[in-house]
Order: sequence, then structure tokens, then C-alpha cells
Amino acid sequence: MAVIKLKSSKPRRKQQKPSSPISTSLHALTAAALSLPGLMPASANAADEEASFQYGHYQEGKRDLAGVNSRFDPIEVNTIQGNAKIKLSDRIKFAFNYIQDTWSGATPVATAPLSFGGNKEGGIIAGATPFLQNNTVFFDRQLNPLKQDPSTGQFTKDPQLVHTLSTASPETRKQGDFKLGYEWDEAALDVGGGISSERDYESRFGSLAGRWDFNQKLTSLNLGLSYTNSDTDATLDHDATPYIYDTSAGLRAYNSTSTNSQIELEGGNKILSGNRQDWATTLGLTQVLNKNAVIETGVGYTRSTGYLANPYKAVETAFINPDQTGDVLSGFAIGLLEKRPDERDQLTANMRYVQYIEGLDAAVHFDYRFFHDDWGINAHTFEADWSQPLGNGWTVTPRVRYYSQDAADFYQPYMISQQAYSRTAVDANGNRISLNADAPNNGLEYVYDPDTGNYVDQNGGRIHETQFNPIPKTVYFDPNKLPAHYSSDQRLSGYGALSGGITVSKQFAKGVTLEAGAEYYTHAGSLKLGGGGEGDYADFDFYMVNAALKVDLSALAPTGGDEHAHHHGHHGGHAPAGVMFDHMLSKSGDFMVGYRYMYGTQAGDMLHGSSEISDQVIVNNGCEGNPCFLAPSGMNMHMHMIDLMYAPTDWLNLMLMPQFVDMDMSMRKLDGAPPPATDTERELITHHTLHESATGGIGDTGLYAMIKLFDRPNHHLHATLGLSAPTGDVGIKLRDTHRIEAGFIHYGMQLGSGTWDFKPSITYTGQMDQWSWGAQLSGTKRLEDKNESGFAFGDIFQSTAWGSYNLLHWLSASVRGVYTVQGSVRGEYIEPFNPLGPMDYPSSHGGRYWDIGLGLNAVVPSGSLAGNRLGVEWLQPVDDDVNGYQLPRDGALSATWSYAF
Amino acid sequence: MKIIKQALPALFLAASACVSGCAQVAPWERGNLAKPHMALDPHPLQSAFRAHSYGSREAASGSGSAEGGGCGCY
Repeated sequence: MAVIKLKSSKPRRKQQKPSSPISTSLHALTAAALSLPGLMPASANAADEEASFQYGHYQEGKRDLAGVNSRFDPIEVNTIQGNAKIKLSDRIKFAFNYIQDTWSGATPVATAPLSFGGNKEGGIIAGATPFLQNNTVFFDRQLNPLKQDPSTGQFTKDPQLVHTLSTASPETRKQGDFKLGYEWDEAALDVGGGISSERDYESRFGSLAGRWDFNQKLTSLNLGLSYTNSDTDATLDHDATPYIYDTSAGLRAYNSTSTNSQIELEGGNKILSGNRQDWATTLGLTQVLNKNAVIETGVGYTRSTGYLANPYKAVETAFINPDQTGDVLSGFAIGLLEKRPDERDQLTANMRYVQYIEGLDAAVHFDYRFFHDDWGINAHTFEADWSQPLGNGWTVTPRVRYYSQDAADFYQPYMISQQAYSRTAVDANGNRISLNADAPNNGLEYVYDPDTGNYVDQNGGRIHETQFNPIPKTVYFDPNKLPAHYSSDQRLSGYGALSGGITVSKQFAKGVTLEAGAEYYTHAGSLKLGGGGEGDYADFDFYMVNAALKVDLSALAPTGGDEHAHHHGHHGGHAPAGVMFDHMLSKSGDFMVGYRYMYGTQAGDMLHGSSEISDQVIVNNGCEGNPCFLAPSGMNMHMHMIDLMYAPTDWLNLMLMPQFVDMDMSMRKLDGAPPPATDTERELITHHTLHESATGGIGDTGLYAMIKLFDRPNHHLHATLGLSAPTGDVGIKLRDTHRIEAGFIHYGMQLGSGTWDFKPSITYTGQMDQWSWGAQLSGTKRLEDKNESGFAFGDIFQSTAWGSYNLLHWLSASVRGVYTVQGSVRGEYIEPFNPLGPMDYPSSHGGRYWDIGLGLNAVVPSGSLAGNRLGVEWLQPVDDDVNGYQLPRDGALSATWSYAF
Repeated sequence: MKIIKQALPALFLAASACVSGCAQVAPWERGNLAKPHMALDPHPLQSAFRAHSYGSREAASGSGSAEGGGCGCY
């Protein structure tokens, strides 16, 4: 969005000048000021060159299930975002953005009267997987749902609705996008694009945006056009598939959810695939009203076509045969995949007003947005905040937001269809039609003739029932009698939402800003503008918190020769990217910010020690005497770390390293594995082999002190004492599947160690001419015997040595050797846990590893980004000697960026 | 479409009215406007995160520009 930016020092200096009577110099000044690219309100970026990181957490509250106590945790989402903006030339800007979300937990899959029992198993166990089918349900003549007393059999009216909840194993979405912009004196053009990818959805998008400033840059016009193309490839839930009709299950195929979607069976999974396209245009106007107020107005139009439904939402439908007599009607309830129109036209109009409050140095923002679409939804959003600087770089911004929307025309919490779910087929004379049970799908039908006791086929031929195997032909409901579109997704219901929050930011010297925000949000039908919202069964709340670090690179850019020397001064080249704690800041008061990405991948034939082994060996020995069914076929780990380093004195550096991890693991069945002994094992084995497991979120947080021991021009030695705080989750469980409690996920898929860990290291670095070298010994000692889930990872010891050569004055290449030893897991998971393969046993963890690393390090030598360091290193495994039975490592990549100032 | 037809003239009316009627603010009088908290969106990172959360729970999602965002099916 548009942001006002003045090169702060210049205009203020001008403000203090007495206004000159000489108009020529005034004009010259005006022209000069206007030529500053950042002057205009519509300038897209807060800073021309900036690196920023953000962590966000979304946590929903427990849903009210009308007395049913769900054991599912509500949905939560962890988001990390990294963003970099740089200038490629005076007029060309480039911005790159990366976002990653991981979510897990329960959300509503459908809604039904409480008497349908959507969350109950046998009326006793609460909150297992959803029950969407095969319920006989009761209504009165006015179609009010009836509840039956189990002891007396009496019916009473019970209109209470309730969501049916379903839960999901953790899943991760990753998005990368970019923007390339060119600035003229009074115009700008941005071209952007990106891709967002998750297991079941992939979205590709491109955009074009133009800005034109006129009227002395007091007015600017913004135009935008964008296109998004998204594919859904949703694996339909095992537990939910009963609501999708399937001929192989003996039911009528009912799989056309929309003309643009299709359900296919692929490798045992039901896959729903669809494509959607979104075209959006925006037109906006930004106007400086006076020296203390700006207004922005705009309109937008978006057209969406294709598969616009949600593959995981069902509409609970009760089929009631209208031929029934009596006061109590019985019906049959099933869930149907929701069906939305294939087109949606959306219009928005928005207004944003910013007023400066003189005297308080505050800014007030008012936003209003109106939304209208041809699904019958009108929505209003009001938002206001008060941004109050408090001095010393602190700013506090409290805000409030109100949102209200109408329901979509086709929204209904659940459906009633006045037709029988199924009936026995009869011909025009009322004689029953049969099929041959031995070949029910051969298209041949046989009509029973009560006069002769024979069957008559299509050609009039008579067949006695002993000549084939007759079964009655069943006719299922007529989907044409259902509404054309239906959805009970809460997001399409009528409701209002009120939220309030606060943002606190602190700007430090040298262009570093820390920002934290929190917001609480409450959704309620009763909050809908004008009333008539959804019942209070659908009310829920959530909160979100975020923390961000922004580094204004242009503000940090070295200005004089002294600074320049400083950035090149410390300890020659840095160590290869995979070595942490390799250097110290040279002067007290110095800061460093950095970002570190690490990727590790494992795949191939299973190892025992250093030898590849057959599946049969694993089956016999891999599971500590228990039956062994599965082995991992691949695993990937991504880690994002932020390095914050400060030198309070020249011999001591302090470091804080928050980290974010995400992992995925795929499984295969072991050849020769025994048949599963229990239903639980069988279902879990199927689930594991069909679905990749994924986890992600905050990892452990490192706190380090680095102490200088020895410092000569060519030789340097320092020690690091570190503590790793167990901020990563070690209680992640697989989602319950097939109504089975699946228990903890594999040890290696948890996000942290769960224990406080001591992490000491000692590092030597040296340099001479174009050469530099170094060595490091490091360790990880778990300070606790077990974490809250019952285990502790093994201790780690690592030794490494490297040499590097300056190929160019800004580029060096390195070679490194690494030896690592890690102990096996101690303790084991507390219940519930269902070990199925070696990865679930403590003895198959850790080992001894040799690696060779090849790396490149670069430092930007000049220009506004001078002093930024980049490093990349690939670690190639040379030898694995694993404890127990494990996958071999394929390699690891480290990439780093850092900037000291 | 009806709304666009109503909104467009209003927008241009406001614009043209302002071009002639709004106070002329000289570049060196724009110090207040240039303050970070006077930006139309002072916290763009946080706004993106909030918009994504709202977008996953509200029908009137999407700002009309292509920004990805994923399925939001949960």
C-alpha cells in the first residue's frame, strides 16, 4: 500500500528556512524537492532499501459444541515472513518476499442439528472424527428437528445447531513473490509475480501496477491489474469420504461437485481437482488535502471463475420421504460436498483518511471498505487507529475494527430435501426391478412378473430366478431436486466481527525497528449490522500476535571512508556459511543482523551402521523386538534463523537466535512386513503410506555469549557459551484418523528438543594474504533427562576445519571437513504413541557422520549495499555410520546474509 | 456494476474538486505528512499478516490485487 516518505532530513531543514521572497529560488527548491523519488505519498515503500522479518501467530478459541466436549485443539497458524527491498539503480527497485504458514487443529467441516450427533460416537465419546453419514434423524411436520430420549423413546423439538469439527495434521504453505519497479519523476510502474504452494493447492499470480503523480505531487492516481491461476488437488479425508458418493461403495456416484471439478481415485486416495482464475483491477486516488491530512479512495473489481468451492466443507443433508404418515418424520442424513457457483463478481469501494494531530504529534487513521458480490454478500469494514509517538523512538498504536457481512444467497447451515434417500426401483406397473447380483453393472435389468413368478428382461424374454442371482435395484435421490448451489461454510453466513488490538514499535538508532502487535477478534451472528445474523452456535474468537524486525539498509549504508574500512576490517573472510559463531564484532557498540537458511535432505536405501540393508533385515531387527511395518522413504528439513548480535564490550558479544523450522517425511511399507495385528496399526500404516507428514513452526531459541580469548592480526580465538531454550513444540501428534487416536508424530518431526540445552564451542580463525582458515569444536549437551513428551535427543559433538581463498576482492571460495557424532534418543514417548518403524524407536537415532563442504562467500564491496555479506555452502555427506536403522543423508545447504553496523 | 457506475464519478468528482480546491502544500510543508506514522499504512508487514487472517475467516477477502495467499481452506 501507499506510504508517505520524505527523505526526512532534507525537507525539515528546508522547513526551518525563512521563506525566500525570490520566486526563482523557490521554484528551484520546489523542483529539487519534487525530484526526490520518495517524496510522494503514493511511494510504495517505507524505505528504499530494507530487510525485514516477521513472525505471526494465529490462535482460535475453542468452539462451543453445545455440551459436547471436543478433545481437539482449535486451529492455530504460525507464520514467518522475510522481505527484502533493494535498489538496482537509482530508478529501478526490486522487492522479494517469502511467507510460510504452518497450521494444525480443528475447524468446522459441517453444521447440523445437535440431534444428528455429528460430534458423538455412539452418543458417549465426544469429539472424535466427524460423523456425517448414516444417521437416521427425526423431524416434526413443520420440519423442526426432533430429539429422541434414549430411555423413553419420546420425541421433543430441539432446534439447537452445532458444528461438526474435523481436525488436520500440520500442513505448510510456502509463498515467494517479487516486485520489480521503475520510477520516473512523476510516475512509477511495478511488475510483480509469485507462487504459493501447499500440499493441496497451488496458486500462481502476476500483477501490473502504475502510479501517476500530478498537481505538484499532491495527487496521484494508481491503477492495478492482476491475474491469479490456482489449482486445487485436494486429497479427500478418509473420514470424510463417506459423504462423497462412490459406486465402488455400492452407492450412486455423486461426484460432480461443480462443472470444473472432478474426483478421481489415485493410488488409494480420492483426489478432488479443480482450477480457478481471478482477474482483479483497482483504481485509486491519493490526495494530500492539506499539510496535515491525506485521503485515499479507490474502487476495485474482481472476477473469479472456475472451482470456487472448498473441498473440505460438507453440507449436512436430511432426506425425508414425503410419503410418510404420522407426526414424526424419519429421515436419513448424509453430508454432501458443498456446491458453489462457478463465477463470482466482486466489487469493492474503499476510503482511507489520515489526519495529523498537531500538539500530540499523533496520527489518526480511518478506513472504510464496502464489498459487494453477486453471491448476495454485502460487507462493511470500519477501522480506526491512533498512532502515538512517545519519544525515544517508541510508537504505540491502539486500533479497533468492525466487520459485518450478509449471508450468501445459497448459504444454509444444513439442508432438508423432501425426497427419499433411496428406494427400490419399480416399473410403471409397480413391479419391482432387479439386477443380477453377479454382474450388477452390466446394464441388464429384470422386471418381476407376479403372475408367473418369473423375471422379464429387456427383450421380453422370461428368466426364472434360479437362472440368475436377483437383487432389487435401488434408486437413489434425485440431485436435480437439490438447490443448484449450497454451502454451510461459516464464512458465507451472516455475522459481524469486532476486534481490537495494539501495536508497539521501537526505532533504534541506525535504522533498526522492532515492532510487536496483538489483536483479539470476536465473531458473532448477533454483531451483524442490522441484525439477522447466524445463531450463536457459530460464534468464535481468535487472537493474533506478531513481532517484526525491520532494518533500513539505506539508513545504514556507510557514508565515509572510515565506515568503509570498518566493514572490511574484521578478521578477513568469514567462515563457510554452515559454520555458526565464526566471528565476533570488533568494536563495542556494534550490531549485526543476519538471516540463516539451512536445508537438509535424507533419502535412499536404509542403513544399518554404514551398510545398506534389505527390508527383511529391518522387519526382523529394526524395531527393538516389536513388529516393524514402515520405513521412511524421504525427509526434508528447512530452518530459518535470525541472528541478532550485539557487542557491549569489545571482548564480549551477545547473540539471540530465534529459529523457525518445517519438515516433511514420507513413508513406505517394508517388503516382508508382518500383517498388522490391530485395526489401529492397519489404519495408521495405510494413512502413513498415502500421506506425507509435515510439521512446522517456531523452533528452539538460542542465547549465546561469545568471549574473545586471543586476538592478533592474523590469529583469533574465541569461546561461545550458549543456551538453547525449548521454545519448539515437542508435543505434535498426528491427526486422528479413522476414529483412531494416532498419537505422537515421529521423534525427528518435532520442532525442537524440548529440553534446555547447553551449547559451548571454541573457534580459531586465521588469515594470511589471500588465504584464511579456521577450526571449531562445538557441542550440545542436554541439560534434562527428558522433555514434556518423555524423551531427550542425544548429545552432539562436532569438529570442523576449513580453508578459504579470495578469488576476487569480494568473493572467496572455501573447502571444509566436518565430523559429527550424536547419541541416540534417551527415554521414549509417553502415551499415546503407535510405533510402526525404526524411526519411532529411540535406538535408531544419532550416529557418526563425515561431510565435505564447498562454499562461496561474498561481500558487497561498494554502493549503497556495501558491507552486506552473503554466503552459501553445500555439505556433501562422505560417510554415514548410523545408530540402529536410518535413512542416509543426501546433503545439506546453508545460505546466510548478514550485515554489521 | 451498479456500484462501480456510482463510485467512479464520485471518485473523479472528489479528485477534480480537490485539484482546484485543496490547499496547495509546498514540498517543505510536507514534514508532518512524511512522518512514518502518517503513512497510509505504517505497518505493512503486520497489515499483510492481519489481512491474511481476516481473509481466511471473512467472505469479503482480497484487496483486489494479486498477492497469492493460498487456499485458506481450513
